[in-house]
Amino acid sequence: MTAPDLPRISLLGTTAILFEAPGTFDLPHQRRIWALAAMASKWPGVREAIPGITNLMLTFETPPRAVDSLVSALNDGWDAAQELAIEGRDIELPVTYGGEIGSSLQTVADHTGLSVDDVASIHAAPLYTVFALGSHPGYCYLGGMDPRIAIPRRQTPLQRCEGGSVSIGGSQTGVSASPGPSGWHAIGHTTWTFFDPSWPVPAALAPGDTVRFKVDRVIR
Amino acid sequence: MPIDTTDIERLAQILERSGVASIEIEENGQSLKLVMETEGPTVPSPALAALTGRSDGVANVAKADVAGIFVAAHPSRTKPFVEPGQAIEAGAIVGLVKIGRLYVPVLSPAAGIVDSIVAEAGATVGYGTPIVSVRSAA
Amino acid sequence: MIEILSVLGPASVQDLGRFDQYRFGVGTSGAMDDIALRAGNILLANDENAAGIEIPMTPFKLRFGRDTAFALTGADAGADLGGRAIPPWWRSQARAGDVLSLKAMTRGARSYLTVGGGIDVPVVLGSRSTQLRGQLGGLHGRSLQPGDVLPCTAPDSSACIGELGTEPADIALARPNAPAGVTVVRVVIAGEYDMYDGVAQDLFWRSDWKVTPQSNRYGYRLQGPAVMPISPVEKRSHGIVPGVVQIPPNGQPIIQMRDAQTSGGYPKIATVIEADLWRIGQAGLGGKLRFEQTLYPDALAAQDEVSAYLDKLRVNVRRLEELRRCR
Repeated sequence: MTAPDLPRISLLGTTAILFEAPGTFDLPHQRRIWALAAMASKWPGVREAIPGITNLMLTFETPPRAVDSLVSALNDGWDAAQELAIEGRDIELPVTYGGEIGSSLQTVADHTGLSVDDVASIHAAPLYTVFALGSHPGYCYLGGMDPRIAIPRRQTPLQRCEGGSVSIGGSQTGVSASPGPSGWHAIGHTTWTFFDPSWPVPAALAPGDTVRFKVDRVIR
Repeated sequence: MPIDTTDIERLAQILERSGVASIEIEENGQSLKLVMETEGPTVPSPALAALTGRSDGVANVAKADVAGIFVAAHPSRTKPFVEPGQAIEAGAIVGLVKIGRLYVPVLSPAAGIVDSIVAEAGATVGYGTPIVSVRSAA
Repeated sequence: MIEILSVLGPASVQDLGRFDQYRFGVGTSGAMDDIALRAGNILLANDENAAGIEIPMTPFKLRFGRDTAFALTGADAGADLGGRAIPPWWRSQARAGDVLSLKAMTRGARSYLTVGGGIDVPVVLGSRSTQLRGQLGGLHGRSLQPGDVLPCTAPDSSACIGELGTEPADIALARPNAPAGVTVVRVVIAGEYDMYDGVAQDLFWRSDWKVTPQSNRYGYRLQGPAVMPISPVEKRSHGIVPGVVQIPPNGQPIIQMRDAQTSGGYPKIATVIEADLWRIGQAGLGGKLRFEQTLYPDALAAQDEVSAYLDKLRVNVRRLEELRRCR
């Protein structure tokens, strides 16, 4: 997946500003994003500092009259950012690969030239780190996927992908917490609960937590 | 606050410009009525003649109760609220008075058939200005 | 209290939205036409964030269980209260037992019902807005069904409210030289704009995009010529906000709306300015949309214009209340 050589900063209308870090999609870069987020969340006028995959979005309380100082602050902040190592929890998630919900398992196998069993075991092998939350309530973007099973996002996003779906989009993987539209390829599902608004912290996982998938079943 | 001469002058100007025959204002126990004097014999306007001339049924007049611009149709619509010959209920909206960005409704005092739209769309109206005449069964 | 009698499509309880929850993947939700909701609340002297009902389709019917001051703003839906016509952008007084009927939308795509004091559903994660995906907020996190009963906060004043209308936003905020039958929305170009060449960019600006039937609170899916990048773009997932215009590989733009996911990786060509989001909310299925390039300072000026309209409304309503009593 493409990444800039220098940080890229762009506006999202009058609502937010996006900072994209240069470099590889890996934990050291993500830790620097976490550090930048911690800094930026305290800046005046910033509503939230939301990490993405080696990027950071700042939503505005009210849009600043001029963005120059914010742009400088982001660049300076990134230069100064030291890796923030978050000690999270370790979670094990049993997954049923394939089947009705994991309907794209064969698609991924075809695209990569691997067998469905290999796709499943390669997917379940690493210890993943939660890089960021986003997309929908409780959804986690995980870092650490094996590039052998990477597959570009869908041509046309699906209008509905089931809750608990384990999917691949580009070289990223994640688990949906609820049904909804998706541009990713669902390869399996898990029955865990990722989100509940009545919990003190509504999302089950947070950046810095680690996840290991366990192959419960592979439905061919 | 007493109605003073500058108010009266301004009201007289509005009266003249609007082509309305009279304005009546009631405020804090005081009332003021201004009537246009025309040259020669007083010839009632056709609309006012219609109000007084008919013998069948009772003539009711829906009047403005605020000062502003009379609007015959809702700004989002092309069709006026009422048209002559239309049957309406008591309390039905027969037009609007625009004050800045707000629209105050003019309501029919009685059920009946709309006789005529007395006020001109776009005209300045005041408290008591006749807007629409409605004929109801005697 | 309000009882829903009949409803089509996803009507839901919405306030202005749920903020400060993006870090959990929870988007803003909130009224698709935030201006209509605010205006209704202003007419009723409510907090502008008081929750109302967003009605995206007709026919729609509800019954008032008590005497209730209410306002109806947004799309002109040919409404009547117990047979008495209620004009658009209007406030009125309902008596207990009155049935409010919205017959057909002739102008706009979403109507908003607000009530004195607001709809009293629980606040979830800081807002009463319904989020259908997360099944949270509003009434049990879902769209409204016949038989649903919505509690209303009892307003401060028990005096009956006078009938009053206000200039509809689509007239007060009409864009000069707007082409008939086309909704024009101002956008600020986004990070991936330069990944499209001049020809593709031109297609984006010049086309009258058709709002397909797959358009809803998640996003407006548009149909028109394929807008393709110079080479395929696969971005790392990053935050997005309502108004972001993504273009998936099929070249058909999608405007992410209030219930959109909070992050994505499709290339973004532009973002609709906040001041124009409501115009999309009022664009009906099958309607036409055009994008107009805007610079950030002009987008702020547009925001100021919206604030001025609402400020004026607030002041006018207050002043009029001081002069009049209920008739």
